[in-house]
Amino acid sequence: MHPREAARAHPPKGMESCDWVAAVNTAELDRRFEDSLEFEHAVDYILDDCFFTVGQMVGMRTTVDYDAVVWWRDHFRAKFLAAMLRQGNRWIQDRQNVAAVGWMLAERAVRYAADAQAPSINIDAARKAAVDVERYCQLHAKRRVSALKNGSSDGALPVIAGYWCTPVG
Amino acid sequence: MTVPDIDSILHECFLAVGQAVGTERVFDFEAVVWWRTRYRRAFLEAIGRGNSWTRDRQRVTAVGRFLGQRAVHHAGGGPINVRAAALASLDVEAACRMNAVREGLRPEPCTSGACLAF
Repeated sequence: MHPREAARAHPPKGMESCDWVAAVNTAELDRRFEDSLEFEHAVDYILDDCFFTVGQMVGMRTTVDYDAVVWWRDHFRAKFLAAMLRQGNRWIQDRQNVAAVGWMLAERAVRYAADAQAPSINIDAARKAAVDVERYCQLHAKRRVSALKNGSSDGALPVIAGYWCTPVG
Repeated sequence: MTVPDIDSILHECFLAVGQAVGTERVFDFEAVVWWRTRYRRAFLEAIGRGNSWTRDRQRVTAVGRFLGQRAVHHAGGGPINVRAAALASLDVEAACRMNAVREGLRPEPCTSGACLAF
């Protein structure tokens, strides 16, 4: 039995069982609320880290429109937050893998901008690159789940897909 | 300007820094945290004094690329860590002060928002 379930099942002396469950739930909600505040703060640092990585790969080949930056930020901030709420803040463990996907995002965006003969990475190229990256991550996640089912993983692998393609809401 | 706008500006600046750093170097997350903490406050202050991102964007991202180049220089052959980031900031802010003097602004420290970029 999970310690939290055990705590719920055994109220302290003098406390009604239903009051005890409510108290545990409130504490849990408080903890989640505190976590979400912490993640809200941390996610902006993580996004800066990712934008740095995207910039590394774009290099001096082209520039990125401000609208495209804002679109990527809005789109991935929600996904990164959802991933953190599900898995906790594992940034230090996952950073390298997530950065590799950031490189892919940049490369795809550069390519889409070049194909469209756009002078910079615009919102359209940014959106298309995001679709590619999410498709890749979903495929990767499926392969990983399949590998886990076959018992070929120790279950402690870093989460790659979790950040880029986590469904929001 | 709202807080989310400030964050978008910082994201764009980090992208510019990364552009100049290129793929040959790795960088420590601590350096990102150090830069963000330093420049978020400075940018908020600059915007509070009436600087406009639309007007200054090109100049500020150019300074971001300069910051990246200096960080690469100070990192030597190693990763860009907090030390390299801080030294690069000193270089950039010194240049920034010179620019402020050239443009007839008071040579206040860069973090006061007197300089147009950073």
